[in-house]
Amino acid sequence: MTVADGAVRGATIEVKGLTKRFGSVTAVDDLSFTVKPGRITGFLGPNGAGKTTTLRILLDLATPTSGSCSIGGLRYRDIPDPARRVGAVLEATNFHPSRRARAHLQMMAIEAGLDSSRIDAVLALVGLTADARRKVGGYSLGMRQRLQLAGALLGDPSVLVLDEPSNGLDPQGIAWLRDLLRHLASEGRTILVSSHLLAEMAQTVDDVVIVSRGQLRAQGPLSILTSQSQSSMRVRTPELDRLSAVARGAGYVPRPLGDDTVLVDGVTPEALGPLIASNGIVVYELVQVSQNLESLFLELTTSMTPHEQPPEMVPR
Amino acid sequence: MTAIPAMPRLVRAELFKFRTTPGPWVCVAVAVLLTGLGITTSFLLARNGVVHFTAPTTTTQLRRLMGAGYTAAIVMAPVLGVLCITTEYRHRILTATLLLHPRRPDVLVAKVLGSAIWGLFMGIASFVMVAAMGIPLLSAEGGSVSDFLHQVGPVVPGMLAAFILLAVYGMGIGTLVRNQIAGVILALGLSLVLEPIVVAIFSSLEHIDVNFLPTRATQAIAGSVAARGVGGASGTVGALLSWWLGAVALVLWGLGTTVIGYFTNFRRDVT
Ligand SMILES: Nc1ncnc2c1ncn2[C@@H]1O[C@H](COP(=O)(O)OP(=O)(O)O)[C@@H](O)[C@H]1O
Ligand SMILES: [Mg+2]
Repeated sequence: MTVADGAVRGATIEVKGLTKRFGSVTAVDDLSFTVKPGRITGFLGPNGAGKTTTLRILLDLATPTSGSCSIGGLRYRDIPDPARRVGAVLEATNFHPSRRARAHLQMMAIEAGLDSSRIDAVLALVGLTADARRKVGGYSLGMRQRLQLAGALLGDPSVLVLDEPSNGLDPQGIAWLRDLLRHLASEGRTILVSSHLLAEMAQTVDDVVIVSRGQLRAQGPLSILTSQSQSSMRVRTPELDRLSAVARGAGYVPRPLGDDTVLVDGVTPEALGPLIASNGIVVYELVQVSQNLESLFLELTTSMTPHEQPPEMVPR
Repeated sequence: MTAIPAMPRLVRAELFKFRTTPGPWVCVAVAVLLTGLGITTSFLLARNGVVHFTAPTTTTQLRRLMGAGYTAAIVMAPVLGVLCITTEYRHRILTATLLLHPRRPDVLVAKVLGSAIWGLFMGIASFVMVAAMGIPLLSAEGGSVSDFLHQVGPVVPGMLAAFILLAVYGMGIGTLVRNQIAGVILALGLSLVLEPIVVAIFSSLEHIDVNFLPTRATQAIAGSVAARGVGGASGTVGALLSWWLGAVALVLWGLGTTVIGYFTNFRRDVT
């Protein structure tokens, strides 16, 4: 599969100052971010963070309270032939249970004026060829998700917007989706994929947009986020108090984890090692704990600062 | 890009949606059954206070046989229209539709046209039933088939128009209500219960013209077929609008409800 039309290859998704209120609930709160082509961008946040709402507004299914969204500089409704430019999978499935899977895609092809020869291609791509003549009502959640994906790919679009596409997929399905998205991104497509499970996405995404309570918490390449996250050192020592005092004196923040173990935040092995040696402190164990993505995610999406985190949440 | 080139495929998509779900087929099947019932009743003629099963002979009787699908039109055509839009809300097909074609007015226009075409189809199915069951019965009872066929011109166009316009009217009701069950109940309740009550109460009042109500307008279009129609005031039709004014009234009912539905519902957020 290749991008059919070079014109929108490299379409950038832009969300600017987006706010959406439902009565007293502010689902999206002055959210701005950019999604670049040729990369997979993970749109991450816990349940209720406002991801689905944002994507629905992006696709012109809902109107924002304020702010705007665009794909390739255009509002969705102004994109000529949107099915050929943008493929979307939304959280709620949109099938008639009595309609056969193939007929669902046929309906889409007619509506969008697409060549029906694509139907077999996308059915094969998502592995539903054998089940294509079954009624969708009898489909499992994972099969529905695959069918939604087939529908999104029908127009061979250069932009993909996927809301929790791994919902209902088994581990093999998730791995398959990862490979598919990788492949599609390598062809220069723009891929925005939301998830509330960072673990599923960590190996898939290039960039992340992290939201919580409708607000942007972080945006950038996954690598930058992880390297920006601070390193901590876990030290097991019989001289806990002295070590804590020394660390504090050098400007670090020690946190006792037990009788003989302390976690020193914001310090590298290169900095802490010499400090321990010059003070002649006995150490049984000295381990670097770089903050992993999951804990960073939790940290960004909860209001707790690292210092307020209970010991169970300490990264290891 | 503009509405016009997209419209044929949008209408084709609407027809395809109808074709690939059971609801519209059930509606047509029920309409054909009701037509069969209508055919049977048009052979039941009272003479000297006794009901006989005998061939219709007068022009009015023959037209009633030709228009045996009148009840089907009144009852099932609006339901068909209701399904056209409420099925999309119910199963969120509207999301898929709007993703493929985000310009909502176009989508609604395509639905109006799709409902009209299926209304026509339902009407044709009803007349096929009249031909298949009515003609053999008529010859068996010794009636004149050629006299009967002379009623095609006076009856069929008006009846088909009634099927088409009532389907569009139902589509308008569905746009207003969105909920499938509520839409079906409302469509049936309006023509079978509420309108007859309104007609009964207000027809005696000089300054209120009940003839513009949907069922009365349909009676005007269907002409003498509806003289003993099921909807409306049975037996006491009284003065109706002219057929063309009835058609205008029914078009306005269909488009009016659709336009109000567009501004109140159809522009809203879709999940
Ligand atoms: N149609 C709606 N009416 C009222 N509240 C809504 C509606 N849609 C979403 N919300 C609320 O907006 C917030 C964000 O929801 P959502 O965008 O679905 O989050 P996410 O997809 O990140 O889980 C939630 O508090 C949710 O309850
Ligand atoms: Mg969601």
